[in-house]
Amino acid sequence: MLDGMYAAAAGMNAEQQQLGAISNDLANASTTGYKSERVGFRDLLYSQVGQAGTSTEAGAGAAAEVLGRDHAQGAIHETGNPLDLAIQGEGFLSVKRANGSLALTRDGSLQLDARGRLTTAGGELVQPPITVPRGTPSSAVSIASDGTVTAAGRRLGRLQLLTVAAPDRLRAEGSNLFVATADSGAPRAVGAATTVRQGALETSNVDVAHEMVQMIDTQRSYQLQSSAIQTENQMSSIANELRS
Amino acid sequence: MDAGLFIAASGMVAEQARQDQLSNDLANASTPGFKPDETPQRSFGEVLLSNTSSGGPVGSIATGVSLGQTHTDLTPAGMQTTEHPLDFGIVGQGFFAVRTPQGVRYTRNGQFTVSAQGLLTDGAGHDVLDQAGRTIKVGARETVPPSTLGVFNVPNAAKQGENLYSGTPAGRASGVVRSGVLEESGASPAKVMVEMIGSLRSFQSGQQAIQAIDQTLGEAATQVGSVSGS
Repeated sequence: MLDGMYAAAAGMNAEQQQLGAISNDLANASTTGYKSERVGFRDLLYSQVGQAGTSTEAGAGAAAEVLGRDHAQGAIHETGNPLDLAIQGEGFLSVKRANGSLALTRDGSLQLDARGRLTTAGGELVQPPITVPRGTPSSAVSIASDGTVTAAGRRLGRLQLLTVAAPDRLRAEGSNLFVATADSGAPRAVGAATTVRQGALETSNVDVAHEMVQMIDTQRSYQLQSSAIQTENQMSSIANELRS
Repeated sequence: MDAGLFIAASGMVAEQARQDQLSNDLANASTPGFKPDETPQRSFGEVLLSNTSSGGPVGSIATGVSLGQTHTDLTPAGMQTTEHPLDFGIVGQGFFAVRTPQGVRYTRNGQFTVSAQGLLTDGAGHDVLDQAGRTIKVGARETVPPSTLGVFNVPNAAKQGENLYSGTPAGRASGVVRSGVLEESGASPAKVMVEMIGSLRSFQSGQQAIQAIDQTLGEAATQVGSVSGS
């Protein structure tokens, strides 16, 4: 009897999840290297409704989940800071977190820690570790397009650029960090098509205008589904008044 | 008992089922490639009424509303540009094929992703198939030429949920695959809302008819046989 009410409620729940992803994208419209979320909707199981013995079916609503991310390249923004780098093409910088585990990031706003090691803005060590000799000004650090780091003519190491087979299945850990999972496949080195650009950062690839339009669409769908619940409720009330 | 009571009730049951389907259509207003459902309402078989005293025929009467088999409206909907390299849409007729543990299933939702094995899969992880039933490898920078995706003609496609249809393919369909687009949901909110209002009012009329018949029966039960003027 109230199947439709639950179908509409499931739909509202799905729209709510979509709105959550949109809010997250909008909040990260200025986050370096951020990739917008990709939400997938699906319908649910169908079951028999109405009189018994007929083949009339109605569905149980909809569900939504984040399928992954839009890996499109963000715009390259020149900063002039010698320790900033932007990755052009697929791939991530490999970093080691405080707990010793490895993570991936596209946020190339690097800095030097107290011991002269290259770290991310969050303090994760770049892998393999690259130490800039004490007293070297950061303007003397040069990063080649293949990731080789040199200071005053001396080679210090090469940044490791990694990717996975299924970047959509990477687990987002916050702070611009991603972790490889069994579903994403193990990290492997990127091809020669990926280059690094010093003195620049990759901006977020969130398209604010598109997100705003999606937000309006999502809100309206939510509203429509709530009116379906009201209609079903009205029908229940009419049925209740049969014997009045 | 008055047949009208049951005729009106059958109409109300049918409208309730219609309302459940409309709610589901609205819930899927954002599901790519969703196709709305339609259920024909038809009258039950007619019966002959006869005069109770003479036995002579009076005429025929239908015995209410019955629901037919649910029909999915497979008319292709418009395409929405997403520019995501792994979003695909079929312009025209046809279905994508995916391999599920239950066998090959068909879908119009081309929102695909890539697996750890580097193969093109749907959101639930089922491999997408080409025209020959083989899996599809995703190239560098998430590129898959749209022409590699199979487009199947599935004449008896039956909706089973999770964006999937079951059925037997009959060769290639006329539709053309495009990448960077998704097919919009076939549920038109304006149309669904109007049908919802119509269905609600039909349901209400059913209730009014039942009340009117109930009143008549009530009068028959209490007024007939009472001696007036006593």
